[in-house]
Amino acid sequence: MNDMHMSDALVSVAVGGSMTAVSTGAIGYSIRKLRITDTEDKKIPMMGVMGAFIFAGQMINFTIPVVGSSGHIGGGILLAALLGPYPALITLASVLLVQCLFFADGGLLALGCNIFNMGVIPCLLVYPLIYKPILKRKISSRRITTASILAVVAGLQLGAFAVVLETVLSGISEIPFREFILFMQPIHLAIGIVEGIITSAVLIFVYHLRQDMLELDFGVTSKDSISRNKVIIIFLLASLLIGGGLSLYASTKPDGLEWSIEKVTEQTELVSKGEIHAATEKVQEATSIMPDYSFSSEEMSDSPIGTSLSGIIGGLITLIMAVSIGIVIMMYKRVRRSRTMTEG
Amino acid sequence: MSEMKKTFGQVTALEELAGLNSPFHRIQASAKIIVTVIYLVMVISWKQGEVSGLLPYILYPVIVTALAELPIRLLFRRLVVALPFTVLAGLSNLFLSREIVFSIGSIGITEGMMSFCSLLIKSLLTVMAVLLLIATTRMDDLSYALLRFHIPSIFVMQFMMMYRYLFVLMEEASVMYHAYILRAPREKGIKLKDMGPFIGQLVIRSIDRAERVYHAMKCRGFSGNITLSDNNRMSKMDWLYLLLVGGLFLFMRLINLSEWIGRMYFKILS
Repeated sequence: MNDMHMSDALVSVAVGGSMTAVSTGAIGYSIRKLRITDTEDKKIPMMGVMGAFIFAGQMINFTIPVVGSSGHIGGGILLAALLGPYPALITLASVLLVQCLFFADGGLLALGCNIFNMGVIPCLLVYPLIYKPILKRKISSRRITTASILAVVAGLQLGAFAVVLETVLSGISEIPFREFILFMQPIHLAIGIVEGIITSAVLIFVYHLRQDMLELDFGVTSKDSISRNKVIIIFLLASLLIGGGLSLYASTKPDGLEWSIEKVTEQTELVSKGEIHAATEKVQEATSIMPDYSFSSEEMSDSPIGTSLSGIIGGLITLIMAVSIGIVIMMYKRVRRSRTMTEG
Repeated sequence: MSEMKKTFGQVTALEELAGLNSPFHRIQASAKIIVTVIYLVMVISWKQGEVSGLLPYILYPVIVTALAELPIRLLFRRLVVALPFTVLAGLSNLFLSREIVFSIGSIGITEGMMSFCSLLIKSLLTVMAVLLLIATTRMDDLSYALLRFHIPSIFVMQFMMMYRYLFVLMEEASVMYHAYILRAPREKGIKLKDMGPFIGQLVIRSIDRAERVYHAMKCRGFSGNITLSDNNRMSKMDWLYLLLVGGLFLFMRLINLSEWIGRMYFKILS
């Protein structure tokens, strides 16, 4: 249901790298805050078990009345409400890490994007801006409901928007920006409302049964930390906006970028007609393109058709080689094992 | 629910694989992580629509799978799970860019086909690389490697604890779920109106468990630190592996090996 996991194949190195930097910064900041605030050694098992809880909770399917389809919760705001924003972000980050490693859910290079979309946005943006202010003055069932529905919806809207931006900026998939937005936002609005209702029901249940469990640290935080939070929030929002503007600009004017790259590669082609280019800095650029090698000795690879033909043939040969190497290794292992069996 | 049980069975199977002993299992976790990241970056950095340059990277998963004697079927099952979304995202490329790049005989190959293929290969390779890392590295070694990379111990410790308690809480949730389903036959899942108390119950049980775990840890002298043992050093062999294999990936990024082989092939023919 709430599946916003981005995979490696859809992310460019530049987007993945920069989002990893942003998320790492946010996690580092949260860890620092955690160390300052309270007994961190008590928080560790709590965060670990609650992370596992999110997994178990995501496993439980519920039925949506009328529609009849089933879904499961995502849990960003729920965790923030139960543990507080900083432990929640750290926990969510490791939930996402486990999902990426063991469940092939989202990629390792896209982990930064995923932590940002599903962790940083709900915990560090939406929680302090929407959830906390509503409950600050008075806590009641109605307020909890309002706060969690608004927060979950806002979190998913922002998250979905971030997914669209990251995908479009990466430029791997050619889904047009407008259609993608029109598809993602309404779907996540519906998901957000349902998940918000569930989140509020869970929080009210826990609140009535065991008030001591909810992270009700409102008003405890010092003024200084709030102002710093504001700075961070403004910074994050600004980066989102700038990123959005840039991506729009890039999607309307791709030619300029390509043209300049072509210019650069043309020059390098003139300089070096060999096979090995000083391309280490090119690897760092997600958009880097190895210029077609044109071997003047062969007239056939001068044309693009020649290049792609040798690419196809060579690729086939490579595939066959790879598979046969694998088979040979396996055979060898099998023979050796049977030999040790008979000797032993 | 049973779907998830299956998934968890496969995850446990992966964990058991990590306990095997092969030349590849014996490589230090830090080296394996760095090589995996290099591999991912190199694969991802090929431009859209590139197919031939990506193909040589298949060598790595094939050789590792063979060397580490991993069951191919299990890996494939995990691989298939990851594909649908990428395929959906790639389909738009198929329909949107229809310029013919070149043709084989009478069949026109469009730009969209090329970029769809490259997307498919990319996702197969990237998912495979992460799978292989997990299938050949024990969770503890992985965590120690994270500590070696100076990732704060708070994060690593709760990451380890979370992984340990995954299965415990899954069991808890599944017991509750079964109790519910037995009382509500012909339901596909929990009714929306029961979801609050249900998940809330799970929250309370989880928090109580966390409290008990904390007390047990305290009784055994836990003070918020883990100690690193010395056998987590990178040996000469690990460095060699890192430099050689990482270098190979870089080389394959700079030189399109497929095209090069193809050219050699035509040269020999002519």
